[in-house]
Amino acid sequence: MSEAWSSPAKPVAALGLDLSAMRGFLRADGSKGVRNYVVVVYLVECAHHVARKVAAPFEDRGVQLIGFPGCYPSAYAHRVLEALCTHPNVGAVLLVSLGCEEFRRGALREAIAASGRAVELLVIQEEGGTTATVEVGRAWVETRLREAEAQPTVPLTLSDLVVGTKCGGSDGLSGVTANPAVGSAFDRLVDAGATLMFEETCELIGCEDHMAGRAVTTELGVEIVAAVRKADAYYRELGHGSFGGGNIKYGLSTIEEKSLGAYAKSGTRPIAGLLKPGVRPPHAGLYLMDTVNDGGVRYGIPNINDTQTVTEMVASGAHMIVFTTGAGSVVGQAIAPVIKCVSNSRVFQRLADDMDVNAGTIADGAQTVDQVGDRILARIVEVAAGLPTRSEALGHQEFVLNYKTYEPLGPSCLPV
Amino acid sequence: MAETANIVVLAETDNVGIAVRDLQMNETARSVDGRSTVAREAIPLGHKVALRTIAAGDRIIRFAVPVAIATADIRAGDLVHVHNVKSQYLDNVEDHYE
Repeated sequence: MSEAWSSPAKPVAALGLDLSAMRGFLRADGSKGVRNYVVVVYLVECAHHVARKVAAPFEDRGVQLIGFPGCYPSAYAHRVLEALCTHPNVGAVLLVSLGCEEFRRGALREAIAASGRAVELLVIQEEGGTTATVEVGRAWVETRLREAEAQPTVPLTLSDLVVGTKCGGSDGLSGVTANPAVGSAFDRLVDAGATLMFEETCELIGCEDHMAGRAVTTELGVEIVAAVRKADAYYRELGHGSFGGGNIKYGLSTIEEKSLGAYAKSGTRPIAGLLKPGVRPPHAGLYLMDTVNDGGVRYGIPNINDTQTVTEMVASGAHMIVFTTGAGSVVGQAIAPVIKCVSNSRVFQRLADDMDVNAGTIADGAQTVDQVGDRILARIVEVAAGLPTRSEALGHQEFVLNYKTYEPLGPSCLPV
Repeated sequence: MAETANIVVLAETDNVGIAVRDLQMNETARSVDGRSTVAREAIPLGHKVALRTIAAGDRIIRFAVPVAIATADIRAGDLVHVHNVKSQYLDNVEDHYE
């Protein structure tokens, strides 16, 4: 065996990366974004088309389109949209309302203005309909884009970064190659003072006792076990879980086997806290996010999907997402760049345009888990330096936000 | 390159290996740390091969963690998958057969 197989993972500072190339956009609250997006937001599905029309001419200049389709108000959706509109990667926000929906648009506008960002609210029924709103909206976006493109950047360090991870379309190699490689990168980012998050308690069923052992306090461990039991109970009630035909086709036999593979993304460092969507981590370290609805299965609350749970990590402040896939998911995300890491060389070759990192080199015997982790770290630094990910280059900006309900976090979830 | 590893065994106590390429029937499955068995059937990439006899009711161990329960007696070299194991949690595999 070569020495590389047994040598320990190198710290980020020892990888020869150009950390000084990382540049951020400074916000009034002291946070720094890795992008400077102008965001167009529809506040009800009935305003979606108009918002899309406003954003369409600016697609190649990075304008992002997000929104909430519901008419009946949702405290969860309001919290997530407010968190996204005041996200470090966002510089200015245009809100597009139909007028008769119940979304508390004034409160959202005030919260965005209070964060120091440029904000405008257009109400279609007051502006005079589709044509008038699109015209006024595009003029506003054009002005903000010119300001955003001229905004000076500030130096960015690893300790400024918040990175989330997610897997989608896992295969039997995901848990052997791509996910452990992300774990290797995450360990070293934790050591460098960054903030990390992993999620989907429904895909961690079977790992709860091990996670509790990594919690920084016993009480946090109890909360983590309870969050996973909630996920298990939720899926028992629903009658199906987060385990699909695609997983079986690629060799995974059970939810707990899939979970184990997914869990490897979190690395080995202590778990500093348990988050819920929209709650920002209070300090650096590794966090687990609870993405399962509180209050059990309810009519009108859709099943969990990859994009909405990524939306939730972005709402908690993730600057970028490392997304692992086996079968070959091509998704990106609004507001946070997505780095895609594929578990096998076969799919890497077939979907080369969509993939940032090939972890299949581990199965091929060409690289170790830590060496692929090194490449993930290099990609994170490049993205923080402003280089586009593959999904950004292809114009992906997936976004989903639907009804959900969450109880407040328990008192032991975020130990000081 | 007959000696090249074609399975990964994630922990010493594991009773399955994971194919890192498609294995043919009667091919020797071999890990870098010297675990081996003869595949009794084709083991596709990413799928599990039993490294020893696993009785019905016994647990499938991967990465030192139980990931499934055997629903049939499994011989060394057999494919280990939804036809001979089930979840210890949700058993919803029937929903996914095409």
